Amino acid sequence: MTSSLSAEELDAFLESLKRLLADRCTEGDVRRLMEQPGHHDADLWARLSEMGVPGLLVEPAHGGLGAGPAVLERAMEELGAVLAPTPILSTVIATALVQGLGDEAVSARLLPGLADGSTIAAVALTGPAAKWTAESVAVAAIPEGNGWRLDGKAAFVLHASAANLLLVVARAPDGIALFEVEAGAKGMSVAPLPAFDRTLDLADIGFEGVAAVRLSAPGDGWAVVEQALDMGRVALAGEQAGGTRRVFEFTTGYARDRHQFGRAIGSFQAIKHMAADLLLESESAISAARHAAEALADGAADAPQSISLAAFACADAYVRTTADSIQMHGGIAFTWVHPAHLYLRRARADAQLLGSSAAMRERFVQQLGG
Amino acid sequence: MTDEELIAEVRGWLAANWNPRDKVQAESFGRSPYQSFLEKVLAAGYAVPSWPKELGGRAMTPAQGRLIEREFAAVGAPGAGQDRHNLWANTALAYATPEFRDEIVPKLLTGAVGMCLLYSEPGAGSDLAAVRTRADLEGDRFRVNGQKVWTSGAAIADYGMLIARTDWDVPKHLGISFFFLPMKQPGIEVRPLRQITDEAHFNEVFITDAFVPAANLLGPLNGGWKVLQTALAYERSVMGDAARGPRSGKGSPKGDGALVELAREAGVLDDPLIRQEIAQVTAWKILNRMNNARAKAELKRGTSSPIMSLGKLAMSRILHQEARLRTLLLGADSLLEGPDHPRAEDANFLSLNAYFTSIGGGTDQIQRNIIGERVLGLPKEPEIDRTMPFREVRSG
Ligand SMILES: Cc1cc2nc3c(=O)[nH]c(=O)nc-3n(C[C@H](O)[C@H](O)[C@H](O)COP(=O)(O)OP(=O)(O)OC[C@H]3O[C@@H](n4cnc5c(N)ncnc54)[C@H](O)[C@@H]3O)c2cc1C
Repeated sequence: MTSSLSAEELDAFLESLKRLLADRCTEGDVRRLMEQPGHHDADLWARLSEMGVPGLLVEPAHGGLGAGPAVLERAMEELGAVLAPTPILSTVIATALVQGLGDEAVSARLLPGLADGSTIAAVALTGPAAKWTAESVAVAAIPEGNGWRLDGKAAFVLHASAANLLLVVARAPDGIALFEVEAGAKGMSVAPLPAFDRTLDLADIGFEGVAAVRLSAPGDGWAVVEQALDMGRVALAGEQAGGTRRVFEFTTGYARDRHQFGRAIGSFQAIKHMAADLLLESESAISAARHAAEALADGAADAPQSISLAAFACADAYVRTTADSIQMHGGIAFTWVHPAHLYLRRARADAQLLGSSAAMRERFVQQLGG
Repeated sequence: MTDEELIAEVRGWLAANWNPRDKVQAESFGRSPYQSFLEKVLAAGYAVPSWPKELGGRAMTPAQGRLIEREFAAVGAPGAGQDRHNLWANTALAYATPEFRDEIVPKLLTGAVGMCLLYSEPGAGSDLAAVRTRADLEGDRFRVNGQKVWTSGAAIADYGMLIARTDWDVPKHLGISFFFLPMKQPGIEVRPLRQITDEAHFNEVFITDAFVPAANLLGPLNGGWKVLQTALAYERSVMGDAARGPRSGKGSPKGDGALVELAREAGVLDDPLIRQEIAQVTAWKILNRMNNARAKAELKRGTSSPIMSLGKLAMSRILHQEARLRTLLLGADSLLEGPDHPRAEDANFLSLNAYFTSIGGGTDQIQRNIIGERVLGLPKEPEIDRTMPFREVRSG
């Protein structure tokens, strides 16, 4: 079983999600949010929360839908298709981190807020090396009094401006551990970063003697972090697949409508063949993302390998599709008012988050035994 | 004059007339910031050395011209080699009436006028022969009405090279004329368009009862298609030769080792995958340069070179691939933009501005068609509206 929802329930859920997004997350809304600091639409987030989107992974006992990664991935396809600027990715990673700890008290305290959207989490994970690996964690934790103090730097933190919960992955004497820091804690500096994808809220966070509560049990907790990252990669792959498909659709639509030399440009083999190649990219991205999500939901042995594959296949498909889309449109797609570049910007950003395609390819080969 | 004598002469002249500190961050559009220097270049005969004396040249060989260009390039001075790459002046030289030529060419060679290309329209991009902007003869001038789009530099241009329909009852290629349209007049409204690069170099141009003197017609009435082919060939050869570099200007490494330097700086020079990619992109750049040099040499011997048509397509591939490589070098740093992140700014800008070369001046797809049909002589694609009177062609 890959999800607690029946096929009909899933269809109905996705249908109402699509309707909500068509209504509340138009291209105009996305452009308006691009211009606003934080790029966060509290109203959209509230409506998504009413539908249960932030709590898809959270078990009903803690207020979520308990629908699992397969449904999450499908929802991400819809969010990705419209470039929805939401803190969903860090919500997913935070949820998976908390769940991975297996500590009922922590779960009971944090999951209900994450599930109902009232908690917006940011996760400080990678350091400036930005490889999302244990080696690139650059915050150090040392015990102090009853608690801990954090020093160092986290880079490319998502959704920090809207967050009211900050989870920090840091290097403690006994290994990688997970900490919670109060929003606005003393010694913490949040520096927003200018992102090429202007829907993206990115920040560097500096820590200088910041007081923190340790959430993870003694011993190295990197495995929990890696699991949470994999959940994030599944969500990201869904976003990429959904974006790829949408770009493919509006690009082939244009190839049908636009006429030059007395013919639809799609009648020229140069364009027709590019469109066929993009269909292959788009369908492969969807297969990869859905398979990875289902493998994770089922606890399949090959889940990590499927996630590596989806991570680079979807990243590369999205980058290629958005790039070819501009070429296939001609001059019109070189204008700011045309949506093609917004997707290109998102595709280029998504291809870097949570680890590069090259790193995911390397992981894939290792998983194949290489 | 021997080559050595020429080199000595040019060096001496540059030492006396050019101060490298005069170099400014020049815009690629509008009037030149170097007008007074360019006047001296023209007077010395270095602007268009292969042209006849009475037109400002020195009747030199192309090889001598290249020597002059090399000396200018070595000190970063503008203005040499315009007999090769000034598309406006070359087009006017080839097709303007002697009176208009003598008036306009010196201004074009000294950057005293800003120029733009009024070709593309909403319904006529790749298919330029489908233009619907009209020019109707009234006495000694033409009345012009229509709309142009993607017009780079229009907002600061003094003239536009315009293609407009002057006969609607003949097939589409046969009813087009080519003009130098004065841009600063009441009938012309220029609206800047914001580009994906967040700049606004290109524009929409609305033309309502504007006028162009009949004397500004280039080539015969209704013979504009041929003039356009000359102008496009110059434009494409320029685009195949060079492209706009990084925008940040923050000490970006130059030369064939530039990508190696960037990789070293990013700490990824020992990554075998990256080394392969650097080799590939740099090789493409060098090969394009070699191709262009060989094309020029072959032109000199009087044969038209097929290699000439390849440069723009090659440049487009180079730019897109270099953008990918620069992104690979930076990894997650490529998430950023702006002046505080110059390397990311450059990689991201290039990933967008590469389309200037792969779409502008005729798309890669159109370039491939041209190479296939005109250079290789492969059969043309059937074009259903090629022979019918334009009046009967359905609009784009
Ligand atoms: C940055 C920039 C600057 C520009 N500056 C100027 C300027 O200063 N002046 C000016 O006049 N124009 C300018 N242009 C316009 C440019 O020349 C046109 O955009 C270009 O020729 C394509 O036309 P189009 O945009 O109408 O696309 P279309 O012609 O509609 O093409 C759409 C797609 O169809 C493909 N296609 C069309 N016909 C064929 C065919 N026969 N076979 C195969 N594929 C085909 C194209 O390759 C493209 O992928 C500029 C464009 C850009 C991007």
